[in-house]
Amino acid sequence: MSAARNPLARPLARLLEKPWLWAFVGATLVWLATIPFTPGRGAGDVLTAAFTFATFFVIVGIGQMFVITLGPGNVDLSIPATITLAGSVATKLMDGQDALIALGFVAALGCGLAVGAVNYALIRALRIPPIIATLSSSFLIQSTAIAYGRGLRIKPPPMLAEFTTARIFGMPVLAICVILLAAVMAVVLERTIYGRSVIAIGQNQRAARLAGIAVDRTRLATYVMSALFASLCGYLLAAFSGGASLNMGEEYLLASIAVVVIGGTSVAGGFANLPGLWGAALFLFLIVTMLNTYGLGAGIRYVLTGLIIIAVITAAGGRKPLR
Amino acid sequence: MERMLQGVSLAVLALALAGGTAVADTSDKRIALSNNYAGNSWRQAMLRSWDKVTSQAVADGVVAAADAFTTAENQVTEQAAMIQNLVLQGYDAIVLNAASPDALNGAVREACDAGITVVSFDGIVTEPCAWRIAVDFHQMGKDEVLYLAEKMPDGGKLLEIRGLAGVFVDDEISNGIHEGVAENPQFEIVSSVHGDWDQAVAQRAVAGILPSLPEIDAIVTQGGDGYGAAQAFDAAGRDIPLIIMGNRHDELTWWKEQKDASGYETMSVSIAPGVATLAFWVAQQILDGAEVPQDLVVPFLRIDQDNLEENLANTEPGGVANVEYTLEDAQAVIAAGGQ
Repeated sequence: MSAARNPLARPLARLLEKPWLWAFVGATLVWLATIPFTPGRGAGDVLTAAFTFATFFVIVGIGQMFVITLGPGNVDLSIPATITLAGSVATKLMDGQDALIALGFVAALGCGLAVGAVNYALIRALRIPPIIATLSSSFLIQSTAIAYGRGLRIKPPPMLAEFTTARIFGMPVLAICVILLAAVMAVVLERTIYGRSVIAIGQNQRAARLAGIAVDRTRLATYVMSALFASLCGYLLAAFSGGASLNMGEEYLLASIAVVVIGGTSVAGGFANLPGLWGAALFLFLIVTMLNTYGLGAGIRYVLTGLIIIAVITAAGGRKPLR
Repeated sequence: MERMLQGVSLAVLALALAGGTAVADTSDKRIALSNNYAGNSWRQAMLRSWDKVTSQAVADGVVAAADAFTTAENQVTEQAAMIQNLVLQGYDAIVLNAASPDALNGAVREACDAGITVVSFDGIVTEPCAWRIAVDFHQMGKDEVLYLAEKMPDGGKLLEIRGLAGVFVDDEISNGIHEGVAENPQFEIVSSVHGDWDQAVAQRAVAGILPSLPEIDAIVTQGGDGYGAAQAFDAAGRDIPLIIMGNRHDELTWWKEQKDASGYETMSVSIAPGVATLAFWVAQQILDGAEVPQDLVVPFLRIDQDNLEENLANTEPGGVANVEYTLEDAQAVIAAGGQ
């Protein structure tokens, strides 16, 4: 190709190969299309809102991405129930007191740890496929949350609520923390033995086992991590939205999978990337905002949302196999 | 309205007494509740009301059993299978909160053919052989605008928060709101978003659209979304407009705080989860041989500035303002529906 001779073309071509690029391109285009309808400081305000809400999608998306990367059939459907359980347990324990913030945090993560362990026990010991195992455990978890909280909406401690809604120069503090978290997890994925093991298992589990990778331990760690991130999301979400509710996690099932896929991670496993999660989460929020701003009816909104998502995934999926 | 109902109920009670022992006839009957969803505070309150009222009725020997069944996944196929099971288990009546207004008609028809009384409420079914206890959602939406017209004679700009797209209740309430606005042209709906009757979803939808909105004078809602809208306005640092509430505990609590702090005024309207108990008594009456019209209308529960404290005190934390219905209430509703 002639482009290869141009010295500038190689970095550009490399950038174009990045699977996460298209989510960001989509998010930017959608944002630009919204701006003309938002007077004054509106453009910045839309971004602030987008970062605020994308944060929660990214937190659960990280866990889901590692699980999906484990290979075909691996997916965590218990995320919504875990969010609800962790949120309910944490707010009830903290009882609105600043002194108990740390206790609530530990309790929320404790829920995640337990859920992850149960999930993997079902998958490994009872040999239930992950989709069924996490789906059935989600019924158990959701029922536990209902029995425990009965939909009780207790206000979060004021200091914690303030932290989850705080901003620096219009940028939510929580979003900055989660960007850092995503950066750390990117290093974990790319540079640690654990991360490389996840990718290797996703590409070929048998080959990974023969190569001496601790497949079971890696999968256990991944399912536990996914549940931990879900419980972290539940803890923060309950604080952010003024208390836990029984259906607070509901929409995070499809959303957690959508951000992973739109972000350019392979659904078949074996290839993953962190930046795409942020691009996809911003993109998903901005699409809804854009279509709401245009004042279109719900039917047309859903059709357009579907078409735009298909367009982005097709663009991202156009990349060539690595070898 | 209330006095009229009381008058009617007394008349009906007198009739019932004159007609002889109504209660004994259903003492061997078994009634089942087929419920499609339990994952929010409204449904939890509904199940608790059902349990409270029917366990008393069973203890009193009014009916032999009144068991509640809920599907796990809110799926039509699942609920159709459940109805078929209830038929096989020999229940005399099925009280139904349906996952779909028409997709369950086949299963409902089978139940009717087996001689079983089917009473649908909240999520009603269109199959003619079933009874329907419907809420006039259209009027509920219209009442919101009528309240605003009284409150703000000069009109203003409205933000509409809708429910779950594609659900019939959402269309009904929204149509009522739009009809009210058409009759009161001093109001204008500048934007409309879907909040899915959920505080978190509503908060996100409103936060996203807020930068593009002019000054908003009032927010018309469908319930379960008012508190989220208030939080979105608060987070954006904008003045909080008049938000119509939907009887949820968090909404009423927030309203009370604002009322105490700044004299904030609004109203709140929704249907009481206890409507399940009304459906129970209607089913009992049908089994008892009473003449009951197929279509009944249940009043909605409205909370105003002066009875806020009273209603808030009666609403359990995390729940929804509720009333539980009695046999007499059911008879009054039946008598009103027959006219």
